[in-house]
Amino acid sequence: MDRFLPWLFLMLFAASANAADSLAGSESIESRTLENGLKVIVWPDQDIPNLAWYHWVRAGARNEYPGITGLSHFFEHMMFNGTSKRKPGEFDRIMEANGGANNAYTSSDVTVYTDWVPRSALELNFDLESDRFQNLAFVEEVVNSERGVVYSERRSSVDNQSFRKLHEQVNATAFIAHPYQFPVIGWPSDIENWKMEDLQQYFQTYYAPNNTTLVIVGAVEPKQVFELAEEYFGPISAQPAPEPVRTVEPKQVGQRRLVMHDAAQAPVLAVAFHIPQANHPDTPALSLAMDVLGEGTSSRLHQRLVEQEQLAVGVFSFKDEGFDPGLAWFFVMLPPGGDTQRAEDVLFEELGKVASEAVQASELEKARNIQMANFWRKLATIDGKADLLGTYEVFHGDFNKMLDVPEQLAGVSLEDIKTISSTVFTRSNSTVGVLIPAANEQEAGE
Amino acid sequence: MKRYANWQNSIAAIVLVFLVSASALAGDSIRLPDYQQVELDNGITLILLEKSDVPLVSFSAAVRGGLVSEPADKNGVASLLAELLQKGAGERDAVQFAEAVAAVGGRFNVSANSEFIGLNGEFMSRDSDLMISLLADVLLRPRMDAAEFQKIKTRAIQGIAAMKDADARGLIGTYAEAFVFGKHPYARSSTGSEASLARVSYEDAKNYAASNLVADRLLLVVAGDFKAKAMRKRIEKALGGWKAAGTAIAPLEAAPRVPGGRVLLVDKPGATQTYFWIGNVGVSRSDPDAVAIELVNTLFGGRFTSMLNTALRIESGLTYGARSNLAMRSQPGSVSIASYTATETTIEAVDLALEQLGKVRESGFDAASLQSGKTYRQGTYPMGFETASDLAGQILTLKFYGLPDSKVNDYSSDMDAVTSEKAKQVIARIYPPREEMVFVFIGDSQKIKDLVGVYGEITLMSITDSDWVPGDK
Repeated sequence: MDRFLPWLFLMLFAASANAADSLAGSESIESRTLENGLKVIVWPDQDIPNLAWYHWVRAGARNEYPGITGLSHFFEHMMFNGTSKRKPGEFDRIMEANGGANNAYTSSDVTVYTDWVPRSALELNFDLESDRFQNLAFVEEVVNSERGVVYSERRSSVDNQSFRKLHEQVNATAFIAHPYQFPVIGWPSDIENWKMEDLQQYFQTYYAPNNTTLVIVGAVEPKQVFELAEEYFGPISAQPAPEPVRTVEPKQVGQRRLVMHDAAQAPVLAVAFHIPQANHPDTPALSLAMDVLGEGTSSRLHQRLVEQEQLAVGVFSFKDEGFDPGLAWFFVMLPPGGDTQRAEDVLFEELGKVASEAVQASELEKARNIQMANFWRKLATIDGKADLLGTYEVFHGDFNKMLDVPEQLAGVSLEDIKTISSTVFTRSNSTVGVLIPAANEQEAGE
Repeated sequence: MKRYANWQNSIAAIVLVFLVSASALAGDSIRLPDYQQVELDNGITLILLEKSDVPLVSFSAAVRGGLVSEPADKNGVASLLAELLQKGAGERDAVQFAEAVAAVGGRFNVSANSEFIGLNGEFMSRDSDLMISLLADVLLRPRMDAAEFQKIKTRAIQGIAAMKDADARGLIGTYAEAFVFGKHPYARSSTGSEASLARVSYEDAKNYAASNLVADRLLLVVAGDFKAKAMRKRIEKALGGWKAAGTAIAPLEAAPRVPGGRVLLVDKPGATQTYFWIGNVGVSRSDPDAVAIELVNTLFGGRFTSMLNTALRIESGLTYGARSNLAMRSQPGSVSIASYTATETTIEAVDLALEQLGKVRESGFDAASLQSGKTYRQGTYPMGFETASDLAGQILTLKFYGLPDSKVNDYSSDMDAVTSEKAKQVIARIYPPREEMVFVFIGDSQKIKDLVGVYGEITLMSITDSDWVPGDK
C-alpha cells in the first residue's frame, strides 16, 4: 500500500513520535487551496484501481432555524435532482454507467457527498460534481416529489422505529437554545412547508467553494487532480463566509426528564449528557471513558445490565463529535415489561463509579487498543482514509492532526478519565427519556 | 503480492499508471492473489493468503450445516449455539473470553447462517497466536455453560420483541421466506422465532454442537500479515486433533416455486408505513447464468438508477427505496421485489412495482442499459477485494459453493460476454409473472386489509404473534 501505515503501527509501540516520523508518514498526502477557497486534499493509494471522493460541505442542521428544519438534509437529496445542464436523474445515470457509485449523508454539522469510482472516471466525476455545485436546478415539481421521498425516509428511520423516536425527543429536550435541538431529518411541518427561496438562499450561502473541502484518495496522481480541480471547480465564485452559529447552549442546571408513549412492545431508556465539541482537548479522554463503559460485551455497562442483572437486552452508547458542544448518549434496550427505573439507577451507579474511582489500567489499555485497531481498519481502505482526512480537516482544522491520534490516545491517563467523567456524568447534566409501550400504560399509572 | 494483475504487476507498472490514457484503463479487472490450499488429515480445508500491507490478520470460516441442519421444530438452535460458543471456551469463561478479544482490539464473531455457522475475526498480526488459540478453543473446547445458555435464550426471545418495534425493513424477508418456503429449511430464520426458541433446550444445543461442530465440515481462510508456512504449522497443531464426522451432510433438495396469488398480511397497528415484498423461489448460487443474472438484477432493482428505484422513488417520490433481491444459496433461495410507502399510497406503490415487473418481462433492457449495468458492475467490483478481510470472505464464498477462481479472475470478461439474448432468457426465467407472485405486507391492517385483497387470498397475522407464520400463538 504505502509507507504511511507501517509507520503508524510502529507508533503504537513507540508513542514518542517525532516530527520526522510525522513527515515521513504524511509525505504522500498533498493539498492545495484554489483561489475561490476550495481546499483539495489528495492521498494517492494504488491498491485498487478505484478512488474514493468525499466532498465536505460545512452545513447541517445546526445552520437551520424554525421553519426550515431538515433543509440541509433535503438539500442533500436535491443535489441529485438535476442542473441547468443535466436533467433530474442524469447525475446518477451517468455515474453508474461509467462504473461509479455514490451516496451522501447529512449530520447536524456537515453534509458530505461521497463517490466511489474507477480511476477511468476521474475527469468525468469532476465534470458531474462541479456541475451540481455550480448549476443546480430548482424546479417546483421536482422539489415536491422529493418531499415525498424525504417523508418516506422519515417514516422508516424515525416514525416506525421506537428508539429513534426517543432519540429525537431527548435531543430536542436536552438543548433549549442551540440548534443541535433540531432533528437532521426535520420536523414534519417544516418538510411540508419550506419555500423555494429558502433552498436558493441556502445553496448560495453554504455550497460556495470556500465553505467546502474535497478529499480524494485512491488510484490518482495529485498533480492531475489539482489540474482538474482548477479546471472544473475554479470557475465557481467564492461567497461571503456564512454567518457563524452564535448561540451557545447555556449550562444545564438540573436534570430534564421526558416520558414517551409508543405502540411498541419493549421499553427503552435513553440518557444524554452535554459534552465538549470534537476538537476539545478532553475529547480523547472522554471517548476512552465511553469505551470503558459501553464498547463491546466485556464493557462495564454490558456486563452489569445485560449479563449480571439481566435488566436489558442490550446497551449501546455513542457521542456527538461536532463543531459545537454536543451530547454523549446511552441507550438501554429493555425486554417487554422491563424495569426502566432499575435500569436507570444501575446506569447512573456505573457512571458514578467511573467519575469517582479510577478505572483499571487494563481497562484503559483495552479501550486504547480498540480505538487504535479501529483507526487502523479505517486506514486499510481508500474509503476510510478519505473519511478520516476529511473529519480531521473539517472538525479539527487540519488533516495532519489525524497523525496525532496514536499520540493523543497514548497521552490519556487514568486521572484524565476520572476527571472528564466527573464533569460530564452528573445527574444535573443529564436528560433522561423513557419510552413506555402503549400496552403498559395502565401499569405505569397513565 | 498483487491483486490487479493487469496493472501494477511490477514496479514498472506503477509508473505506467500515469502514462496510459484514461480510456485505456476503463476495463480494469482484478485477479485473486496467490494463496495456498491444503486439506488437513481430519478433513479441514485450510486456505492461507499472505498480504502484508497492514499488520492485521483476518480469518473467515464456515462450518457447513447452519440452519439447514437444525431439527425442523427447533429453529433458533444454531443461532443460540453461535452465541453460546462465544460465552466461554478452553480456559476462559464468558467474561474472560470477551476480555481476551477486546483487550488487544480484536474482533471475533460467530453467526448462524442458512447453510453454515460463520466465524470471523480480525486481530493485529502480533496477536495472531492468540487468534488461532481462541478459534481452536471455540471449535474444539466450547464451555457450553448451561447458565449462559439460559441467559442467551431469554435474551434472544426478548430481542425479537425489540426487533419488531424497529423498522420492518429487517423483518419482512423473514416473514416472507417463512411463508414461501413452508416446510423447506430455507423457511427458517437466522434468529428463530419467539415460539421456536422457547422449544429449544440446553440439550438441543449440545446435540446440535456434537453433530455439527466437526473438522471435516470446516472451511477456514486466513489472510493477512503472516508467513504461510509458520501459520499452517500453527493451525495444524491447534486444529489437527479435532474429530471428523466422516459423514457428509445430506444434500438439500430444491424447493419448488409455490402457487402465486396469495397474500400474507402482518398487522402492525398504528404503522404509518406499509412494507411490502413480492416474490417466490428464485435461483441458486451455482446457476450457470449467475453473471447474467447479476447484471439483469442490477438493472431491475439492484442499484440507485434501477427500474424499480427510478419508478418508485426518483420519478414518483413514493418511497425512500425500492429493490429487487436474489437470495442465491446452494439451492434456489428467494427472488423478490421489496419496498415501503406511506399507508395511504400502498396500492399505488405496489401497482407501480408490478408495472415495472410487467415491463421488464416484456421488453427487457436495451443495449445501452446493458452496457451501463456491465460497466457499473465492473467498476465497483474491485471495492470488494481491498482488505485481507475482504479477500478472506470472497475466497470463503467461492470455496463454500464450489466455484472456481475464474469467477473472480474472469469476472470482467464474463460480464462483457453477456448478450442481450441471454439477458432476455434470464429475465423470463428468474422473475415470475405477476400471477405467480406471493405478496407479503407489514402494516396497519385496519387501513389496508380491504385493499390488498386484490392481489390474492389474504392470510392475516399479528406482528405480536410468537411465530413468523400464522396460527402458532
